Amino acid sequence: MLEIRNLHARIADGREVLKGIDLAVAPGEVHAIMGPNGSGKSTLASVLSGRPGYEVTQGGVTYLGRDLLALGPDERAREGVFLAFQYPVEIPGVNNMYFLRAALNSVRRARGEPDLDAGQFLKTVRAKLKLLEIGDDLLQRAVNVGFSGGEKKRNEIFQMAMLEPRLAILDETDSGLDIDALRVVAHGINKLRAPDRAMVLITHYQRLLDYIEPDRVHVLSGGRIVKSGDKTLAGELEKHGYAAFEAA
Amino acid sequence: MTETTQTKPYIDAFPAARGGAGDRLRPQREAALARFAALGFPTRRQEAWRFTDLRPLERQSYPPSAGGAAPAAALDALRLAGATHRLVLVNGRFAPELSDLAALPEGAWIGPSAQALAERPALSLLDAGEIDGAQPFAALNAAFFTDGAVIALAPGVVLDRPVEIIHLGRAEAPVSLHLRSRIELAPGSRARVVESFAGTGPYWTNAVLGVELGAGATLEHVRLQDEGVEAIHLSLARLRLGAGACYDAFALTLGGALSRQDVQVELAGEGARVGLGGVYLLRGTQEATTALLVDHAAPGCTTRELFKGVIGDRAHGAFQGAIAVRPGAQKTDAHQLNKNLLLSRRATVDTKPALEILADDVKCSHGATVGDLDEGALFYLRARGIAEAEARRMLIEAFAADALDMVEDTALRAHLAGHLQRWPGLRESRET
Ligand SMILES: Nc1ncnc2c1ncn2[C@@H]1O[C@H](COP(=O)(O)OP(=O)(O)OP(=O)(O)O)[C@@H](O)[C@H]1O
Ligand SMILES: [Mg+2]
Repeated sequence: MLEIRNLHARIADGREVLKGIDLAVAPGEVHAIMGPNGSGKSTLASVLSGRPGYEVTQGGVTYLGRDLLALGPDERAREGVFLAFQYPVEIPGVNNMYFLRAALNSVRRARGEPDLDAGQFLKTVRAKLKLLEIGDDLLQRAVNVGFSGGEKKRNEIFQMAMLEPRLAILDETDSGLDIDALRVVAHGINKLRAPDRAMVLITHYQRLLDYIEPDRVHVLSGGRIVKSGDKTLAGELEKHGYAAFEAA
Repeated sequence: MTETTQTKPYIDAFPAARGGAGDRLRPQREAALARFAALGFPTRRQEAWRFTDLRPLERQSYPPSAGGAAPAAALDALRLAGATHRLVLVNGRFAPELSDLAALPEGAWIGPSAQALAERPALSLLDAGEIDGAQPFAALNAAFFTDGAVIALAPGVVLDRPVEIIHLGRAEAPVSLHLRSRIELAPGSRARVVESFAGTGPYWTNAVLGVELGAGATLEHVRLQDEGVEAIHLSLARLRLGAGACYDAFALTLGGALSRQDVQVELAGEGARVGLGGVYLLRGTQEATTALLVDHAAPGCTTRELFKGVIGDRAHGAFQGAIAVRPGAQKTDAHQLNKNLLLSRRATVDTKPALEILADDVKCSHGATVGDLDEGALFYLRARGIAEAEARRMLIEAFAADALDMVEDTALRAHLAGHLQRWPGLRESRET
C-alpha cells in the first residue's frame, strides 16, 4: 500500500532531516515508529501528508501504486491518506461541525459517494463520538480552539473515524492523554483496524503498543531507520533506551 | 476665486448645473463652491488624507450627472428580504418608480432630500460647517447636491421595518453624483437603516450624511458599498448623539476603484454609545480608506470599533481611527481594533490609531494587526481533504466573522454574509 524508497528530505534552511528512509507497509498492517526527539519522525509524517516547507531531494513514495509526492495535501487526503497531527491546529472562527462536514463531503465525493445530508451526517457523528467518548459540546466550538491537549488528540482520532482513510499516520496521538483517555483512544483506533487499512503509529511509549499491537516496530534515528523488528523491539527499547541504535 | 486644474472643471460647471431661481439654497451653495475652490483637492501632506491615493479622481474631471435611469432588476442583489420602506436614487435623483414609501407610520417622515427641502424647511441639510469647514468634497457636495434621503422620526416613534436606501450609479462617461442625506431621530425614537451603493461605469459618488440622535434614540445603520469596478466612492457621515443615544453601524466595503468613508461622531450627551464595525475586502488595484473620528465630549460614553480588512493582489487598504476624549469626559470607555489579512505579497495596508485623551478616569484601548493567512491552518484544512480554494475561503470568512457579528439582526447579518461570500477574491488562489 505504502512504499517509501530511499527518501531524503530537507527543511527550508537546507538541513537534511531525512537521510534515506526505506519502509513498506501492506494493507491491514500496523507499523510503529519510535525514536529519539528530533530524529525526523514528524518530518516523515509531514512529507507523507504534503506539508509545505519540505523538499524531497532523493527517493520517492508510492501509495496504492501512485506517486504520492506528486499530489497536493488535499488530494492525498481525498485519496485516503490521513495524518493525526502531533500538534493539532486551532482555527478560530471555523466551526468544528462545519469543518468536519466540508471535509467528509470532499472525501466522499472523491470516493464517488454522494454528500451526506444534515440528518445522515449527524447520525454518523453521534456514532463516532460515542466510540471516542467525546461530548458533543466540542463540536459546537471552533476547530480545536480552547480544547485541552487530550481533547485535541481525541478530536484527531474522531476525524479519522469520520473520514475512514486507507492509510492513517498517527503522530504521537498518545502523548498528552491521561491513562483512561489513552485506553479509550486506543480502543477507538483498534476498532478502525481493517484488512484494507494500514496505520503508522509514531510514539515514544510502549504503553500505546500494549493496547494496539503492531505488526512491525521501527527505530528512526538521525533521519534513518536503524532497526526494525516485531513488537518485542518496543519492549527492548523501553528497557535499554536508544543508545544502542544511535545512527553513526 | 482661486482655481486649479483640479477644481476648475467643477467651478465652471456650477452655473449650468444649478440655476433655478427657486433654489432657496443658492447663496449657501455659492459660498460652499467658494469654499471648495479655496480648499482645493486634499493632498497627502494633510494628515487626514495621508494614506488615500486620490489619483484616480484627479486624472479626469467628473461633471455633475444630469440624471439617469435604471431597470428594476438592478435592485435584485441589493434588496432585503421582507418588507421595507424603500427609497431608491439613480444618479443622485429620487426614482419614485423603484421606491416604496407607501406605508409610513404616523410620526415618520421618509423621503427624498429635494422634497424635504420644500416640505420640511426646518431640517438642516446644510449647515455652516459646509461653508467654513475643512472638507473640500463636502463643500463641493453642498454646492452641487441634487437629492438624497431624509428620515425624520418624531419622539418615541419606533419604525416597524427597516428603511432601505439604494444608490445606483449609471455612467457611460465620467459623472459625479452628489448626494446629501439627513437622519434626525427625536428622543426615544428608533430606526434601522440599510444603505447600499452600486452601479456601473465611471461615476463618482460623493455622499454626505448628517445624523442627529436625540436623547435615548437608537439608530442601526448598515452600509453596503458595492460600487462598480470603475467607480469612485467618497462618503462623509457626521453624527451627533444626545444623552443615552445609541448608534450601531456596520460597513461592508467591496467595490469601487477608489473609496473612502469618513465617519465623524460627536458624543454630545452623557452615556451615549457608538459601535462602528466594518469589513473591507479589496482586490485588483482597489484603494480603500476608512477614517473614523469619535469625539467623547460628554462623560460616561462608550465607543466600540472593530474593522477587519482582507486585501489581495495589489490592493491597498487604510484605516485611520481617531478617538478624542475631552477634559471632563470621565468614565469614557473606548476600544478600537483593526485587523488586516494580506492575501498577496503586493497587497498593502496602513493602519493608524490616534487616541487623544484629556480626561483621567477613562478606559481606552486600541490594537492593530497585519498578517497573512495562517499557513498552519490552511494545511490542516487541506490535510482533511478540503481543496485549497475552499480552505482559503473558509479561513477568510472566519477572519471576517467576528466583525460581522456586530450586526445584531440575524436577517441583515445573513444578507451581508451573502455579499461577503460572493466576493470574487474568495475564489482566487494565491498570487505571489
Ligand atoms: N519546519 C521545520 N523548520 C525547522 N526545523 C524543522 C522543521 N521541521 C523539522 N525540523 C527539524 O528537523 C529535526 C527533526 O524534527 P522532527 O519534528 O521530525 O522530529 P521528531 O522525531 O518528530 O521529534 P519529536 O519526538 O520531538 O516529536 C529537528 O531538528 C527539527 O528541529
Ligand atoms: Mg514529532
